[in-house]
Amino acid sequence: MTNTVVLTIVILTLVGLVLALILYWVAKKFKVEEDPRIDEVEKVMPGANCGGCGFAGCRNFADAAVKAPNLDSMFCPVGGNEVMKKVAGILGYEVKEKAPQVAVVRCNGSCANRPRTNVYDGVRSCRVKAALYSGDTGCSYGCVGCGDCVEACKFGALSMDPETGLPVVDESKCTACGACVKACPKGVIELRNKGPRSMRVFVSCVNKDKGGVARKACSAACIGCGKCAKVCPHGAITVENNLAYIDFTKCKLCKKCVAECPTGAIHAVNFPVLPPKPAAPAVKPAAPAVKPAAAAKTAAVPAAKSAAPVQAEAKPAENSDKKEAANE
Amino acid sequence: MSKITFRIGGVHPDDNKISRNCAIETLPLPPTVYVSMSQHIGAPAKPVVAAGDKVKVGQVIAEPGGFVSAFIHSPVSGTVKGLVERKDLSGKPVQHVEITVEGDEWAEGIDLSDKLVTEIPADKDVILEKIKAGGVVGLGGATFPTHVKLNPAPGKVADCLIINGAECEPYLTSDYRIMVERPDEIVVGAAIMQKVLGCRCVIGVEENKPEAIEALKASVSRLGYPDIEVLSLKKRYPQGGEKQLIDAVLHRQVRSGCLPIDAGAVVQNVATALAVYEAVQKNKPLITNTLTVTGDCLPVEKQHNYLFRIGTPLSFIIEQAGGVPEGAAKLISGGPMMGKAISNTDATTVKGSSSILYLSEESTKRKPQGNCIRCGKCSDACPMGLEPFLLNRLYKAGDLEGLEKNAAQDCIECGCCLYSCPAYIPLLDNIRQAKAQVMGVIRARAAAAKAAAEAVK
Repeated sequence: MTNTVVLTIVILTLVGLVLALILYWVAKKFKVEEDPRIDEVEKVMPGANCGGCGFAGCRNFADAAVKAPNLDSMFCPVGGNEVMKKVAGILGYEVKEKAPQVAVVRCNGSCANRPRTNVYDGVRSCRVKAALYSGDTGCSYGCVGCGDCVEACKFGALSMDPETGLPVVDESKCTACGACVKACPKGVIELRNKGPRSMRVFVSCVNKDKGGVARKACSAACIGCGKCAKVCPHGAITVENNLAYIDFTKCKLCKKCVAECPTGAIHAVNFPVLPPKPAAPAVKPAAPAVKPAAAAKTAAVPAAKSAAPVQAEAKPAENSDKKEAANE
Repeated sequence: MSKITFRIGGVHPDDNKISRNCAIETLPLPPTVYVSMSQHIGAPAKPVVAAGDKVKVGQVIAEPGGFVSAFIHSPVSGTVKGLVERKDLSGKPVQHVEITVEGDEWAEGIDLSDKLVTEIPADKDVILEKIKAGGVVGLGGATFPTHVKLNPAPGKVADCLIINGAECEPYLTSDYRIMVERPDEIVVGAAIMQKVLGCRCVIGVEENKPEAIEALKASVSRLGYPDIEVLSLKKRYPQGGEKQLIDAVLHRQVRSGCLPIDAGAVVQNVATALAVYEAVQKNKPLITNTLTVTGDCLPVEKQHNYLFRIGTPLSFIIEQAGGVPEGAAKLISGGPMMGKAISNTDATTVKGSSSILYLSEESTKRKPQGNCIRCGKCSDACPMGLEPFLLNRLYKAGDLEGLEKNAAQDCIECGCCLYSCPAYIPLLDNIRQAKAQVMGVIRARAAAAKAAAEAVK
């Protein structure tokens, strides 16, 4: 009896030892040589595995970074400059500072600005809707409002505003990974430089229709009039296919275009609100274009905007006899 | 009762052919027509008229823009106002030629008499040239240029021409009406195409249209075409699908990725046969077609089958038919199963327009979606033998390889899966997306293979 027990223990110990030796030998013999710096780089990565850098995950990025001759074409949008500096430090590379970016929704076709011409009752998916038809408004370029971008965002930075029917970017959460840009079938979302103290000026429209058509579809559409391009002292604005575009690398945030835009399609965000000058209201009725003061020009913007809903209201009546239809 | 039908899948929606007894009326001329330059599958046509030109009915206004493309003729006489960009049915901008209607003067050489011409030109090429010059495209839905289809690639031989009179979509009656009212012309048109292909011909009609079957049979025996057969088919959707009809008539299957010609068949719609007759025998190009105005919320006396000029705005037809009826929640161009919702009535009619369908809220509203219970009804219903529930799941997972393996590209978008799903899962919408993605992959691969082959040369 005792013999059997001892024998069992001895045999199992021997088997274990032999197997351990084999495993040791295999591990030594077939060891994959890996650059230890990959692990180091991976450690400083944010670990979001979002794919925003163009690689499948943080590990793949680290692997590629170690192999790459320089870091010029690589950037981790989530970690930003700080992480890139650390990565460069580990690898002994130089790294160029990249301005932080943020996702920007280039559509202002809210329910008030862009009257609905029909009702969509199909699948709540932008991709499906955009493939079926041009959307439930007269604008065939803008946001279709089913929230594919919200679904695509892994950081919870996007949400649909139920009032406007448009997606809203939470700048504090947006990492500029670009997932929403890829998800949007209409190409409405763009990554733009965040700008100093998050101040940005951009054209909130992607409509390429001619002025009259665009205006009819949406009161806040860019009509391609080109006034902004003329007024811009920095040559940052180009108008192509009836649509203005502001190059964020050239824009100096002077906001002249914002005041000039007749439809309010150019948005300036995160600018500090100036305390209203007491004289401003008195000057306003008599403020002609001659007066170049900034106060008069900023006043022109809300005026243009407040005029918009009135037009918008007139439209549903005009369109009401056209029966609505949607989907398939 | 006929038992001839396709083998797998299919559904039995109520046929609702309410407008079947409405004789074809000629729609008055609208004040302005907008003729789309993309009325067919393939490259858009190139306009050859400019603003200010005077045109006559039947005059060429656009030339084919490629091999798979077609001539477009002026449907009216008047002055060309210019080339305008207008939104089509789905709101996408398309080039249109705008023509102001002045009188109704036809171009020379077009035979406008009712006399039936039965002598078919002897030369095959003459016929094909006439079909091409007449701008004839398939009117069964896909609007594929007919002269291309009737001229199979070298090495491929058709042994049967099938004329599709199934009209399996519920509500639509325009094909039925032309079969009843103009069977002789259809039969001669079929004989013309038969001569081009040099094979036998079968006209397939579903059994819910006995008058049409009788009219066609009488016409075939009166005109004396021994090798044209009129076949009564069992009523089943989607019998009018090309591949389903070949299966029903010839008991042959078209393999995945192949064309009907690979199974030795060419399928043409009855309306196409009529257009071929008019183009070849009367020199009348394809500028008119028949359209049904119908729906479940439209009283019978307000339903119509119209002979319309192509390019007539939908809004004009709606107005002529008495406006949008009360209770209409959705306007559809085409049948309720495969048609497209009309999102703007400013769009104009094209060669392939077949109906304006008003459906009530009750019959169109989507019911709340539930979970898949793996009942397999969609797989039973799929006439292509696919597994819609699986394709739906693969699409959601973004598995393109799996989608291709499971033949998402073979989907004919008939909607049987969506129709039969008890959980109201939007199977078709998702599979359509999946199909587009897989087709993109296949096309990219083919292009890459072609480029590689060129590089070797």
